[in-house]
Amino acid sequence: MSESLVILLLVVAVALAFDFTNGFHDTGNAMATSISTGALAPRTAVMLSAVLNLVGAFLSIEVALTVTNAVVEIQDSSGAPRSEYLTDGGSPLLLIVLAGLVGGIAWNLLTWLLGLPSSSSHALFGGLIGAAIAGLGWGGVNWLGNGKELDGVLGKVVLPALMSPVIAALVAALGTWMIYRITRGVAERFTERGFRWGQITTASLVSLAHGTNDAQKTMGVITLALLASGHWSDTASVPFWVKACCAIAIAAGTWLGGWRIIRTLGKGLVEIESPQGLAAESSSAAIILASSHLGMALSTTHVATGSILGTGLGRPGAQVRWRVAGRMLVAWVVTLPAAAAVGAATWYLADLLGGGLGAVAVTLLLVLAAAGMWWRAHHEPVGAHNVNDDWHEPSRPVPAAA
Amino acid sequence: MENFGFAFTAGWQVVLIGVLLGAGLPAVFAVGIRSLAYAGGGSATTSDPGGSEGPAAARPLGTVLAGVCFLVVVVGIVLGLTFILASGFGKELDFGSGIPTLTDKS
Repeated sequence: MSESLVILLLVVAVALAFDFTNGFHDTGNAMATSISTGALAPRTAVMLSAVLNLVGAFLSIEVALTVTNAVVEIQDSSGAPRSEYLTDGGSPLLLIVLAGLVGGIAWNLLTWLLGLPSSSSHALFGGLIGAAIAGLGWGGVNWLGNGKELDGVLGKVVLPALMSPVIAALVAALGTWMIYRITRGVAERFTERGFRWGQITTASLVSLAHGTNDAQKTMGVITLALLASGHWSDTASVPFWVKACCAIAIAAGTWLGGWRIIRTLGKGLVEIESPQGLAAESSSAAIILASSHLGMALSTTHVATGSILGTGLGRPGAQVRWRVAGRMLVAWVVTLPAAAAVGAATWYLADLLGGGLGAVAVTLLLVLAAAGMWWRAHHEPVGAHNVNDDWHEPSRPVPAAA
Repeated sequence: MENFGFAFTAGWQVVLIGVLLGAGLPAVFAVGIRSLAYAGGGSATTSDPGGSEGPAAARPLGTVLAGVCFLVVVVGIVLGLTFILASGFGKELDFGSGIPTLTDKS
Protein backbone atom coordinates (compact mmCIF):
# COMPACT_ATOMS: atom_id res chain seq x y z
CA MET A 1 0.00 0.00 0.00
CA SER A 2 1.49 3.29 -1.08
CA GLU A 3 1.94 6.21 1.26
CA SER A 4 -0.60 8.41 -0.51
CA LEU A 5 -3.21 5.64 -0.33
CA VAL A 6 -2.73 5.44 3.44
CA ILE A 7 -3.24 9.18 3.74
CA LEU A 8 -6.29 9.03 1.47
CA LEU A 9 -7.92 6.32 3.58
CA LEU A 10 -7.26 8.35 6.72
CA VAL A 11 -8.75 11.47 5.11
CA VAL A 12 -11.91 9.57 4.18
CA ALA A 13 -12.25 8.07 7.67
CA VAL A 14 -11.60 11.37 9.44
CA ALA A 15 -13.96 13.23 7.09
CA LEU A 16 -16.75 10.78 7.94
CA ALA A 17 -15.92 11.24 11.61
CA PHE A 18 -16.30 14.98 11.13
CA ASP A 19 -19.66 14.42 9.44
CA PHE A 20 -20.70 12.32 12.44
CA THR A 21 -19.76 15.09 14.91
CA ASN A 22 -21.57 17.54 12.63
CA GLY A 23 -24.68 15.42 13.11
CA PHE A 24 -24.78 15.32 16.90
CA HIS A 25 -23.51 18.86 17.25
CA ASP A 26 -26.49 20.16 15.30
CA THR A 27 -29.37 17.94 16.46
CA GLY A 28 -30.31 20.63 18.93
CA ASN A 29 -30.72 23.26 16.23
CA ALA A 30 -33.84 21.58 15.00
CA MET A 31 -35.04 19.54 17.95
CA ALA A 32 -34.08 21.34 21.18
CA THR A 33 -37.32 23.32 21.23
CA SER A 34 -39.60 20.34 20.58
CA ILE A 35 -37.79 18.32 23.23
CA SER A 36 -37.90 20.96 25.94
CA THR A 37 -41.58 21.79 25.39
CA GLY A 38 -42.47 18.10 25.40
CA ALA A 39 -43.95 18.22 21.90
CA LEU A 40 -41.84 15.14 21.18
CA ALA A 41 -40.24 12.62 23.51
CA PRO A 42 -36.45 13.10 23.41
CA ARG A 43 -35.72 9.77 21.71
CA THR A 44 -38.50 10.25 19.16
CA ALA A 45 -37.24 13.72 18.34
CA VAL A 46 -33.67 12.70 17.58
CA MET A 47 -34.89 9.69 15.61
CA LEU A 48 -37.13 11.89 13.46
CA SER A 49 -34.33 14.36 12.94
CA ALA A 50 -31.91 11.57 12.01
CA VAL A 51 -34.27 10.13 9.40
CA LEU A 52 -34.85 13.58 7.88
CA ASN A 53 -31.11 14.28 7.81
CA LEU A 54 -30.59 10.97 6.02
CA VAL A 55 -33.28 11.77 3.47
CA GLY A 56 -31.97 15.32 3.08
CA ALA A 57 -28.42 14.14 2.48
CA PHE A 58 -29.53 11.70 -0.22
CA LEU A 59 -31.51 14.49 -1.85
CA SER A 60 -28.34 16.43 -2.53
CA ILE A 61 -28.22 15.29 -6.13
CA GLU A 62 -26.20 18.27 -7.23
CA VAL A 63 -23.28 18.63 -4.85
CA ALA A 64 -20.91 21.57 -5.04
CA LEU A 65 -17.36 20.23 -5.16
CA THR A 66 -15.96 23.68 -4.54
CA VAL A 67 -16.70 23.72 -0.82
CA THR A 68 -13.13 24.56 0.24
CA ASN A 69 -12.90 27.44 -2.24
CA ALA A 70 -14.83 29.66 0.12
CA VAL A 71 -11.85 29.91 2.44
CA VAL A 72 -8.70 28.30 1.03
CA GLU A 73 -6.93 28.10 -2.31
CA ILE A 74 -6.39 24.41 -2.98
CA GLN A 75 -8.90 23.95 -5.80
CA ASP A 76 -9.59 25.89 -8.97
CA SER A 77 -13.04 27.24 -9.76
CA SER A 78 -14.14 24.04 -11.54
CA GLY A 79 -13.50 22.02 -8.39
CA ALA A 80 -10.34 20.35 -9.68
CA PRO A 81 -7.46 20.31 -7.20
CA ARG A 82 -4.63 22.70 -8.06
CA SER A 83 -1.91 20.85 -9.90
CA GLU A 84 0.94 22.24 -7.79
CA TYR A 85 -0.26 20.21 -4.77
CA LEU A 86 -0.57 16.94 -6.63
CA THR A 87 2.97 15.62 -6.32
CA ASP A 88 3.43 12.27 -4.54
CA GLY A 89 -0.06 11.10 -5.36
CA GLY A 90 -1.65 14.28 -4.02
CA SER A 91 -0.07 13.97 -0.57
CA PRO A 92 0.49 17.74 -0.01
CA LEU A 93 -3.17 18.49 -0.58
CA LEU A 94 -4.36 15.45 1.36
CA LEU A 95 -2.29 16.46 4.38
CA ILE A 96 -3.82 19.95 4.40
CA VAL A 97 -7.33 18.51 4.22
CA LEU A 98 -6.58 15.94 6.93
CA ALA A 99 -5.13 18.57 9.27
CA GLY A 100 -8.10 20.83 8.63
CA LEU A 101 -10.55 18.04 9.46
CA VAL A 102 -8.67 17.20 12.66
CA GLY A 103 -8.94 20.85 13.72
CA GLY A 104 -12.67 20.86 13.00
CA ILE A 105 -13.38 17.65 14.91
CA ALA A 106 -11.27 18.65 17.91
CA TRP A 107 -13.19 21.90 18.31
CA ASN A 108 -16.57 20.24 17.72
CA LEU A 109 -15.87 17.70 20.46
CA LEU A 110 -14.63 20.27 22.95
CA THR A 111 -17.65 22.54 22.48
CA TRP A 112 -19.93 19.50 22.74
CA LEU A 113 -18.28 18.55 26.03
CA LEU A 114 -18.94 22.07 27.31
CA GLY A 115 -22.51 21.96 25.96
CA LEU A 116 -21.94 24.92 23.68
CA PRO A 117 -23.69 25.12 20.32
CA SER A 118 -20.94 26.35 18.01
CA SER A 119 -20.98 26.24 14.24
CA SER A 120 -19.71 23.01 12.66
CA SER A 121 -19.06 24.76 9.38
CA HIS A 122 -16.94 27.38 11.14
CA ALA A 123 -15.00 24.58 12.81
CA LEU A 124 -14.36 22.92 9.44
CA PHE A 125 -13.45 26.18 7.74
CA GLY A 126 -11.26 27.20 10.67
CA GLY A 127 -9.37 23.92 10.56
CA LEU A 128 -8.82 24.26 6.80
CA ILE A 129 -7.68 27.87 7.13
CA GLY A 130 -5.16 26.94 9.82
CA ALA A 131 -3.84 23.99 7.83
CA ALA A 132 -3.60 26.14 4.70
CA ILE A 133 -1.71 28.90 6.51
CA ALA A 134 0.69 26.32 7.92
CA GLY A 135 1.14 24.44 4.66
CA LEU A 136 0.91 27.19 2.06
CA GLY A 137 1.45 30.46 3.90
CA TRP A 138 -0.94 33.40 4.31
CA GLY A 139 -1.52 33.50 0.57
CA GLY A 140 -3.12 30.03 0.73
CA VAL A 141 -6.21 31.54 2.32
CA ASN A 142 -9.01 33.23 0.38
CA TRP A 143 -9.47 36.15 2.77
CA LEU A 144 -11.59 38.57 0.80
CA GLY A 145 -12.99 36.61 -2.12
CA ASN A 146 -13.22 37.53 -5.77
CA GLY A 147 -15.17 40.77 -5.42
CA LYS A 148 -18.05 39.42 -7.53
CA GLU A 149 -20.15 37.83 -4.81
CA LEU A 150 -20.15 37.16 -1.09
CA ASP A 151 -16.95 35.15 -0.88
CA GLY A 152 -13.79 34.49 1.09
CA VAL A 153 -13.35 34.33 4.83
CA LEU A 154 -14.94 37.75 5.18
CA GLY A 155 -17.93 37.16 2.91
CA LYS A 156 -18.66 33.49 3.61
CA VAL A 157 -17.79 33.31 7.28
CA VAL A 158 -17.40 36.58 9.17
CA LEU A 159 -20.22 38.71 7.76
CA PRO A 160 -22.92 35.98 7.77
CA ALA A 161 -21.90 35.06 11.32
CA LEU A 162 -22.43 38.64 12.43
CA MET A 163 -25.72 39.07 10.61
CA SER A 164 -27.60 35.78 10.76
CA PRO A 165 -28.09 35.47 14.55
CA VAL A 166 -29.31 39.06 14.76
CA ILE A 167 -31.78 38.63 11.90
CA ALA A 168 -32.97 35.33 13.37
CA ALA A 169 -33.46 36.87 16.80
CA LEU A 170 -35.47 39.76 15.34
CA VAL A 171 -37.74 37.53 13.29
CA ALA A 172 -38.31 35.07 16.12
CA ALA A 173 -38.98 37.87 18.62
CA LEU A 174 -41.54 39.41 16.27
CA GLY A 175 -43.17 36.02 15.61
CA THR A 176 -43.33 35.17 19.30
CA TRP A 177 -44.79 38.52 20.21
CA MET A 178 -47.50 38.24 17.55
CA ILE A 179 -48.41 34.66 18.47
CA TYR A 180 -48.85 35.53 22.14
CA ARG A 181 -50.78 38.68 21.25
CA ILE A 182 -53.11 36.83 18.89
CA THR A 183 -53.83 33.82 21.05
CA ARG A 184 -54.23 35.72 24.30
CA GLY A 185 -57.17 34.30 26.19
CA VAL A 186 -57.61 31.26 23.97
CA ALA A 187 -58.24 28.07 25.92
CA GLU A 188 -55.26 25.82 26.34
CA ARG A 189 -56.84 22.81 24.69
CA PHE A 190 -56.72 24.70 21.39
CA THR A 191 -53.27 26.25 21.72
CA GLU A 192 -51.45 23.21 23.08
CA ARG A 193 -52.33 20.78 20.32
CA GLY A 194 -52.03 23.36 17.55
CA PHE A 195 -48.62 24.62 18.54
CA ARG A 196 -47.40 21.12 19.17
CA TRP A 197 -47.99 20.15 15.55
CA GLY A 198 -46.67 23.49 14.35
CA GLN A 199 -43.44 22.88 16.20
CA ILE A 200 -42.96 19.35 14.92
CA THR A 201 -43.57 20.42 11.33
CA THR A 202 -41.18 23.39 11.39
CA ALA A 203 -38.51 21.43 13.26
CA SER A 204 -38.75 18.75 10.58
CA LEU A 205 -38.19 21.34 7.86
CA VAL A 206 -35.07 22.55 9.65
CA SER A 207 -33.78 18.96 9.94
CA LEU A 208 -34.33 18.28 6.27
CA ALA A 209 -32.61 21.51 5.24
CA HIS A 210 -29.73 20.62 7.55
CA GLY A 211 -29.29 17.25 5.85
CA THR A 212 -29.13 18.79 2.38
CA ASN A 213 -26.79 21.59 3.43
CA ASP A 214 -24.31 20.07 5.82
CA ALA A 215 -23.74 16.55 4.53
CA GLN A 216 -22.74 18.14 1.21
CA LYS A 217 -19.71 19.73 2.78
CA THR A 218 -18.21 16.40 3.73
CA MET A 219 -19.16 14.90 0.37
CA GLY A 220 -17.27 17.74 -1.30
CA VAL A 221 -14.20 17.27 0.90
CA ILE A 222 -13.99 13.50 0.37
CA THR A 223 -14.46 13.87 -3.37
CA LEU A 224 -11.71 16.51 -3.45
CA ALA A 225 -9.39 14.02 -1.74
CA LEU A 226 -10.32 11.36 -4.32
CA LEU A 227 -9.66 13.81 -7.14
CA ALA A 228 -6.31 14.81 -5.68
CA SER A 229 -5.14 11.22 -5.37
CA GLY A 230 -6.38 10.32 -8.83
CA HIS A 231 -9.15 7.93 -7.71
CA TRP A 232 -11.89 10.01 -9.26
CA SER A 233 -11.83 12.34 -12.22
CA ASP A 234 -15.28 13.82 -12.64
CA THR A 235 -15.58 17.32 -11.14
CA ALA A 236 -19.31 17.38 -11.81
CA SER A 237 -20.46 14.54 -9.59
CA VAL A 238 -19.82 12.64 -6.38
CA PRO A 239 -19.30 8.87 -6.23
CA PHE A 240 -22.40 7.17 -4.90
CA TRP A 241 -20.58 5.43 -2.05
CA VAL A 242 -19.35 8.83 -0.83
CA LYS A 243 -22.87 10.17 -0.80
CA ALA A 244 -24.21 7.09 0.98
CA CYS A 245 -21.45 7.07 3.61
CA CYS A 246 -21.85 10.79 4.34
CA ALA A 247 -25.62 10.49 4.59
CA ILE A 248 -25.31 7.59 7.02
CA ALA A 249 -22.59 9.30 9.07
CA ILE A 250 -24.55 12.53 9.60
CA ALA A 251 -27.75 10.62 10.36
CA ALA A 252 -25.97 8.35 12.85
CA GLY A 253 -24.49 11.41 14.54
CA THR A 254 -27.89 13.06 14.73
CA TRP A 255 -29.40 9.88 16.14
CA LEU A 256 -26.77 9.84 18.92
CA GLY A 257 -28.37 13.05 20.10
CA GLY A 258 -25.80 15.56 21.26
CA TRP A 259 -27.82 15.91 24.47
CA ARG A 260 -25.47 18.38 26.12
CA ILE A 261 -26.10 20.93 23.39
CA ILE A 262 -29.82 20.18 23.17
CA ARG A 263 -30.05 20.87 26.89
CA THR A 264 -28.28 24.23 26.60
CA LEU A 265 -30.46 25.32 23.70
CA GLY A 266 -33.75 24.04 25.03
CA LYS A 267 -33.40 24.71 28.74
CA GLY A 268 -30.35 26.86 29.36
CA LEU A 269 -30.75 29.85 27.12
CA VAL A 270 -34.49 30.42 27.51
CA GLU A 271 -37.27 28.45 29.17
CA ILE A 272 -39.35 27.64 26.12
CA GLU A 273 -43.11 27.17 25.80
CA SER A 274 -44.66 25.63 22.71
CA PRO A 275 -45.69 28.88 20.98
CA GLN A 276 -42.09 30.02 21.34
CA GLY A 277 -40.87 26.72 19.92
CA LEU A 278 -43.03 27.25 16.87
CA ALA A 279 -41.83 30.83 16.43
CA ALA A 280 -38.18 29.80 16.80
CA GLU A 281 -38.30 26.95 14.29
CA SER A 282 -40.34 28.93 11.74
CA SER A 283 -37.85 31.75 11.94
CA SER A 284 -34.94 29.32 11.56
CA ALA A 285 -36.52 27.50 8.63
CA ALA A 286 -37.41 30.71 6.78
CA ILE A 287 -33.99 32.27 7.29
CA ILE A 288 -32.03 29.13 6.40
CA LEU A 289 -33.99 28.68 3.18
CA ALA A 290 -33.95 32.38 2.26
CA SER A 291 -30.23 32.82 2.80
CA SER A 292 -29.26 29.68 0.91
CA HIS A 293 -31.47 30.95 -1.92
CA LEU A 294 -29.66 34.30 -1.89
CA GLY A 295 -26.18 32.80 -1.72
CA MET A 296 -25.49 33.79 1.86
CA ALA A 297 -23.48 30.98 3.43
CA LEU A 298 -25.26 30.07 6.60
CA SER A 299 -24.54 28.40 9.83
CA THR A 300 -27.62 26.51 11.00
CA THR A 301 -26.31 26.84 14.53
CA HIS A 302 -26.10 30.61 14.49
CA VAL A 303 -29.58 30.92 13.03
CA ALA A 304 -31.15 28.45 15.45
CA THR A 305 -29.49 29.98 18.50
CA GLY A 306 -30.46 33.48 17.40
CA SER A 307 -34.06 32.36 16.93
CA ILE A 308 -34.29 30.74 20.36
CA LEU A 309 -32.83 33.86 21.96
CA GLY A 310 -35.35 35.94 20.02
CA THR A 311 -38.30 33.98 21.41
CA GLY A 312 -37.05 34.88 24.87
CA LEU A 313 -37.06 38.56 23.93
CA GLY A 314 -40.47 38.42 22.26
CA ARG A 315 -42.50 36.75 25.00
CA PRO A 316 -43.60 39.15 27.67
CA GLY A 317 -42.14 38.05 30.97
CA ALA A 318 -39.75 35.47 29.52
CA GLN A 319 -36.22 35.38 30.82
CA VAL A 320 -33.10 35.10 28.71
CA ARG A 321 -30.07 33.76 30.56
CA TRP A 322 -27.51 36.22 29.31
CA ARG A 323 -24.65 34.39 31.01
CA VAL A 324 -25.38 31.38 28.83
CA ALA A 325 -25.77 33.61 25.77
CA GLY A 326 -22.45 35.24 26.60
CA ARG A 327 -20.68 31.90 26.83
CA MET A 328 -22.08 30.95 23.43
CA LEU A 329 -20.95 34.21 21.94
CA VAL A 330 -17.42 33.64 23.19
CA ALA A 331 -17.49 30.14 21.71
CA TRP A 332 -18.63 31.51 18.34
CA VAL A 333 -15.86 34.10 18.20
CA VAL A 334 -13.23 31.59 19.28
CA THR A 335 -14.40 28.74 17.00
CA LEU A 336 -12.60 29.80 13.84
CA PRO A 337 -9.23 30.80 15.34
CA ALA A 338 -9.22 27.83 17.74
CA ALA A 339 -9.96 25.28 15.02
CA ALA A 340 -7.39 27.06 12.86
CA ALA A 341 -4.77 26.74 15.59
CA VAL A 342 -5.41 23.01 15.93
CA GLY A 343 -5.42 22.62 12.15
CA ALA A 344 -2.10 24.44 11.83
CA ALA A 345 -0.46 22.53 14.69
CA THR A 346 -1.69 19.26 13.21
CA TRP A 347 -0.23 20.12 9.82
CA TYR A 348 3.17 21.04 11.31
CA LEU A 349 3.29 17.82 13.28
CA ALA A 350 2.28 15.70 10.29
CA ASP A 351 4.78 17.52 8.09
CA LEU A 352 7.55 17.08 10.64
CA LEU A 353 7.04 13.32 10.81
CA GLY A 354 6.53 13.24 7.07
CA GLY A 355 3.76 11.95 4.79
CA GLY A 356 2.24 8.62 5.77
CA LEU A 357 3.76 8.40 9.23
CA GLY A 358 2.65 11.96 10.03
CA ALA A 359 -0.89 11.27 8.88
CA VAL A 360 -1.13 8.12 10.98
CA ALA A 361 0.29 9.93 14.01
CA VAL A 362 -2.13 12.88 13.90
CA THR A 363 -5.08 10.56 13.37
CA LEU A 364 -4.04 8.53 16.41
CA LEU A 365 -3.71 11.73 18.43
CA LEU A 366 -7.21 12.72 17.36
CA VAL A 367 -8.59 9.35 18.42
CA LEU A 368 -6.88 9.72 21.81
CA ALA A 369 -8.25 13.23 22.28
CA ALA A 370 -11.74 12.10 21.30
CA ALA A 371 -11.59 9.16 23.68
CA GLY A 372 -10.41 11.48 26.45
CA MET A 373 -13.30 13.88 25.95
CA TRP A 374 -15.77 11.01 25.68
CA TRP A 375 -14.49 9.63 28.96
CA ARG A 376 -14.69 13.08 30.57
CA ALA A 377 -18.27 13.46 29.36
CA HIS A 378 -19.27 10.26 31.10
CA HIS A 379 -18.50 11.78 34.48
CA GLU A 380 -21.46 14.07 34.05
CA PRO A 381 -23.65 12.33 31.53
CA VAL A 382 -26.47 14.14 29.83
CA GLY A 383 -28.95 12.01 27.95
CA ALA A 384 -32.59 11.54 27.12
CA HIS A 385 -33.26 10.90 30.82
CA ASN A 386 -32.13 14.26 32.17
CA VAL A 387 -32.04 16.59 29.18
CA ASN A 388 -35.04 18.53 30.46
CA ASP A 389 -34.05 18.77 34.13
CA ASP A 390 -34.20 22.19 35.75
CA TRP A 391 -31.38 24.49 34.77
CA HIS A 392 -29.26 25.92 37.55
CA GLU A 393 -27.07 28.95 37.08
CA PRO A 394 -24.35 29.67 37.86
CA SER A 395 -23.37 26.05 38.30
CA ARG A 396 -21.28 24.42 35.65
CA PRO A 397 -22.84 24.22 32.19
CA VAL A 398 -23.92 20.66 32.74
CA PRO A 399 -25.22 19.67 36.17
CA ALA A 400 -24.40 16.23 37.45
CA ALA A 401 -26.98 13.57 36.77
CA ALA A 402 -28.90 12.23 39.69
CA MET B 1 -14.66 45.52 0.32
CA GLU B 2 -17.44 44.67 -2.12
CA ASN B 3 -18.41 41.99 0.37
CA PHE B 4 -20.13 44.51 2.62
CA GLY B 5 -22.36 45.63 -0.23
CA PHE B 6 -23.30 42.05 -1.14
CA ALA B 7 -23.93 41.21 2.49
CA PHE B 8 -26.21 44.20 2.84
CA THR B 9 -28.16 43.35 -0.33
CA ALA B 10 -28.64 39.72 0.68
CA GLY B 11 -29.21 40.69 4.32
CA TRP B 12 -32.22 42.91 3.91
CA GLN B 13 -33.86 40.38 1.59
CA VAL B 14 -33.34 37.69 4.22
CA VAL B 15 -34.94 40.00 6.77
CA LEU B 16 -37.88 40.60 4.47
CA ILE B 17 -38.50 36.92 3.71
CA GLY B 18 -37.85 36.09 7.36
CA VAL B 19 -40.48 38.53 8.58
CA LEU B 20 -42.99 37.47 5.93
CA LEU B 21 -42.62 33.70 6.23
CA GLY B 22 -40.74 33.17 9.50
CA ALA B 23 -42.90 35.47 11.60
CA GLY B 24 -45.91 36.04 9.33
CA LEU B 25 -46.87 32.40 8.82
CA PRO B 26 -46.79 31.55 12.54
CA ALA B 27 -48.97 34.59 13.12
CA VAL B 28 -51.45 33.36 10.50
CA PHE B 29 -51.32 29.98 12.20
CA ALA B 30 -52.10 31.67 15.50
CA VAL B 31 -55.07 33.43 13.91
CA GLY B 32 -56.21 30.01 12.71
CA ILE B 33 -56.06 28.61 16.22
CA ARG B 34 -57.90 31.59 17.59
CA SER B 35 -60.59 31.15 14.91
CA LEU B 36 -60.93 27.51 15.81
CA ALA B 37 -61.46 28.47 19.44
CA TYR B 38 -63.96 31.09 18.34
CA ALA B 39 -65.78 28.48 16.27
CA GLY B 40 -66.06 26.28 19.33
CA GLY B 41 -67.75 29.22 21.02
CA GLY B 42 -68.23 30.02 24.67
CA SER B 43 -65.75 28.60 27.08
CA ALA B 44 -62.99 28.26 24.47
CA THR B 45 -61.94 31.85 24.87
CA THR B 46 -61.73 33.53 28.24
CA SER B 47 -62.20 36.87 26.53
CA ASP B 48 -65.77 35.84 25.72
CA PRO B 49 -68.02 38.48 27.27
CA GLY B 50 -70.23 37.35 30.06
CA GLY B 51 -68.15 34.22 30.71
CA SER B 52 -70.80 32.08 29.08
CA GLU B 53 -71.72 28.85 30.77
CA GLY B 54 -71.74 25.53 29.04
CA PRO B 55 -71.36 24.89 25.33
CA ALA B 56 -72.42 27.88 23.31
CA ALA B 57 -73.67 27.67 19.75
CA ALA B 58 -70.99 26.77 17.19
CA ARG B 59 -69.91 29.56 14.91
CA PRO B 60 -69.32 28.35 11.34
CA LEU B 61 -67.51 31.58 10.39
CA GLY B 62 -64.72 30.65 12.77
CA THR B 63 -64.30 27.25 11.16
CA VAL B 64 -64.09 28.78 7.69
CA LEU B 65 -61.58 31.39 8.79
CA ALA B 66 -59.48 28.72 10.53
CA GLY B 67 -59.56 26.66 7.34
CA VAL B 68 -58.29 29.58 5.27
CA CYS B 69 -55.49 30.31 7.75
CA PHE B 70 -54.31 26.71 7.91
CA LEU B 71 -54.42 26.50 4.12
CA VAL B 72 -52.14 29.54 3.84
CA VAL B 73 -49.73 27.94 6.31
CA VAL B 74 -49.73 24.61 4.44
CA VAL B 75 -48.99 26.41 1.16
CA GLY B 76 -46.06 28.14 2.87
CA ILE B 77 -44.69 24.84 4.15
CA VAL B 78 -45.08 23.16 0.75
CA LEU B 79 -43.20 26.07 -0.81
CA GLY B 80 -40.37 25.61 1.68
CA LEU B 81 -40.30 21.88 1.07
CA THR B 82 -40.26 22.40 -2.71
CA PHE B 83 -37.34 24.74 -2.25
CA ILE B 84 -35.31 22.15 -0.33
CA LEU B 85 -36.12 19.38 -2.80
CA ALA B 86 -35.54 21.59 -5.85
CA SER B 87 -32.12 22.79 -4.78
CA GLY B 88 -31.11 19.19 -4.18
CA PHE B 89 -32.00 18.34 -7.76
CA GLY B 90 -30.20 21.34 -9.26
CA LYS B 91 -33.36 23.38 -9.80
CA GLU B 92 -34.42 26.58 -8.16
CA LEU B 93 -37.66 28.34 -7.40
CA ASP B 94 -38.16 31.45 -9.50
CA PHE B 95 -40.59 34.07 -8.20
CA GLY B 96 -40.00 36.41 -11.16
CA SER B 97 -43.39 35.86 -12.73
CA GLY B 98 -45.26 36.21 -9.47
CA ILE B 99 -46.10 32.51 -9.41
CA PRO B 100 -43.30 30.28 -8.11
CA THR B 101 -41.98 28.14 -10.92
CA LEU B 102 -39.13 25.65 -11.09
CA THR B 103 -36.22 26.52 -13.35
CA ASP B 104 -32.75 25.10 -13.85
CA LYS B 105 -30.13 26.57 -11.59
CA SER B 106 -28.11 29.25 -13.33
